[in-house]
Amino acid sequence: MTETFLSALTVGGVPVLMFVTCLSCLAVPVPSSLLMLAAGALAASGDLGLAEVIAGAFAGAILGDQLGYQIGRSGIALASARMRPGSRAALALVRAETLLAARGGMAVFLSRWLLSPLGPYVNLVAGGTRLDRRLFTLGSLTGEAVWVTLYVGLGALFGSQIDMVAQLSSSIVGLLAALAVMGGAGLWIRRALRRAHAAGDRDALSR
Amino acid sequence: MFGKLRHLWHHHPVALLLFGAASVLVVVFALRVAVFALYWSDPDHRHHAPEPWMTPGFVAHAWHVPKPEVFRVLGYDDRPRGRQTLEQIAAERGVPVSDLIGALTTYLSDAAPRK
Repeated sequence: MTETFLSALTVGGVPVLMFVTCLSCLAVPVPSSLLMLAAGALAASGDLGLAEVIAGAFAGAILGDQLGYQIGRSGIALASARMRPGSRAALALVRAETLLAARGGMAVFLSRWLLSPLGPYVNLVAGGTRLDRRLFTLGSLTGEAVWVTLYVGLGALFGSQIDMVAQLSSSIVGLLAALAVMGGAGLWIRRALRRAHAAGDRDALSR
Repeated sequence: MFGKLRHLWHHHPVALLLFGAASVLVVVFALRVAVFALYWSDPDHRHHAPEPWMTPGFVAHAWHVPKPEVFRVLGYDDRPRGRQTLEQIAAERGVPVSDLIGALTTYLSDAAPRK
């Protein structure tokens, strides 16, 4: 399967790379990191232009981010029209909107590259919580610039060992993303227990 | 402890499930990092054979050998036109791609600088 993508990249060039990075921002399971590494190596060997590779991967990723944001925004508009005001779902949405408004820009930036497995979901949530589009776009532009430069650069450096770089980097960002989710859920749990404690809940008090 | 878990399970099941699932994934990815690091730390695993999707230029770049040499091994007098994969070159000549890869592997094992 990966072979097919790599062949398509070598034969089709930059448009294939652009298409794949765009899909990867929409949670489609395509080997976008490996293709950026390969494209970097192909640029270093003179088969593709380096500037075109970077521009193509970047444009695809930015387009994918905007599409994901729009899907989240339209989806939640449909859903919230049916939510009863004051219901659990409506309250959860308000809480999420507040959280994202405060930390959204950084979340978008980091989930482009350091926590890249979370990227597509952050796009949907950012759109769904109506995060300011300018802030989203700023995080997307800066984060994708880091992602693209990092992987294309590593590909140009490592050449025949892109398999190794792809497997190691995907495991490392996977680990970091899982740790981030675990940390987030941990904070949520701690806050919930503190609240219950303050309210005098018997269960939450017992050891 | 159990009281806390019971409270969370009743009032915040999503937070508890998310935490549990993420913890499992942390272990899985930590193992993955360890396994890959161990595998790739063996130098023999790092220099594998060229693959059908690679171009002659890519092979030359990746294995740090001169391009004209790779072209010569593949039977070109001059540099090939355009961007062709080994697979396409083999198809054009009507030979199996494994023949080209075999010739390249033999050449590379002699010529490529050992790391």
